[in-house]
Amino acid sequence: MTAIFQKHSSRHNISLHRHTIGMGLIFLRTAIIFVVLLAIMRLMGKRQIGEMQPFELVITLLIAELACIPMADTAIPLLYGIVSMVAIFLLHQLVLLIDLKCKPIKTVIGGKPSIVINKNGIDISQLKRNHLDLSDLIESMRTAGYFSLDEVAYALYEANGQFTAMPREDAPKENKISLPVLIVENGKYDQKNLALTKTDTAFFEQILREQKVRSVRNVYVLTLDGTGKIYMQCKGEKFRSFRVRLPEGSSW
Amino acid sequence: MVKTLLSIFIALGLLAAAAIFEEIFVDKQFDKFEAALETLDVKVRNETASRGDAESVRTLWEEEKKVLHIVIPHRDIGYVDYWLGEAVSLIETKNYDDALSKIDVLLTICEQIPETYRITFENVF
Repeated sequence: MTAIFQKHSSRHNISLHRHTIGMGLIFLRTAIIFVVLLAIMRLMGKRQIGEMQPFELVITLLIAELACIPMADTAIPLLYGIVSMVAIFLLHQLVLLIDLKCKPIKTVIGGKPSIVINKNGIDISQLKRNHLDLSDLIESMRTAGYFSLDEVAYALYEANGQFTAMPREDAPKENKISLPVLIVENGKYDQKNLALTKTDTAFFEQILREQKVRSVRNVYVLTLDGTGKIYMQCKGEKFRSFRVRLPEGSSW
Repeated sequence: MVKTLLSIFIALGLLAAAAIFEEIFVDKQFDKFEAALETLDVKVRNETASRGDAESVRTLWEEEKKVLHIVIPHRDIGYVDYWLGEAVSLIETKNYDDALSKIDVLLTICEQIPETYRITFENVF
């Protein structure tokens, strides 16, 4: 109640701004914010989560703020901060209980792992569902120690956003002489990488024709490494991996 | 499991107890203060109020606000202090018309502060 009183003679005409809230209200408001924040975190997908469960991240975000407000503003009773933190603790315990006892609700609250690479290659729909793109996936793979997309049989983002990959048993042991680079991403050539590899679109158009791919627009991903190995996956198709002869002077 | 359930019940119990206590306590404190203000209001209307009457209301408020600070934002208490201070000085100078409007403001605050603690749709959102 940052009261702004309009001075009138009649007591019924006095307007009073209500900012004062009781403890029951603090609990309800904390619970509402918790649920809304959790829903938003879940909708944002695994990209936003990091290495926590969605509800853990929500609690981390809220607790810090709740602890600071009464600490910094001496006009607010300390009890307000304590009540909201106890409310957060209660919600945390409830979520833990649901996690243990009710698997379907656990999936709703915490999400489930998303398999983004399977035996057919990249699962584009899973990437989209988690608001991730190809470069995010390649980055995660590099962090996990895999530099080529065909090195893994399965790769997944856990519910907490962590990346896990299972290497292919039949992965060829090759000389890793240079980093595989992304040439085509979602139907478009990466001009910067074309320049880096000293190749051009005509070179890849020829390869696409040989592979019976009608247009580059149908290609979801195409990578090239220094040995001339190409990893290519067309939209809605299984990936293919083959080797080409690199143009003269092409090295990086 | 038992520990989790126990902690849930304890936390829930603490929160419920705090909410109920607060509502009853705030209501009671403001009812008492409002009753004293209404008595003063009658005396001001009759133009018989003295500084002593006003001071006794202030003394009552001073006692009450010590504990209210625990549950009410201090700014709100400051507003009551401000309007009460004005009312007391106006009564002292026998400016009853102006004092009446200040007491009206105080009575409104007494009604509205406990209202803001009720669990209602507009308060939650």
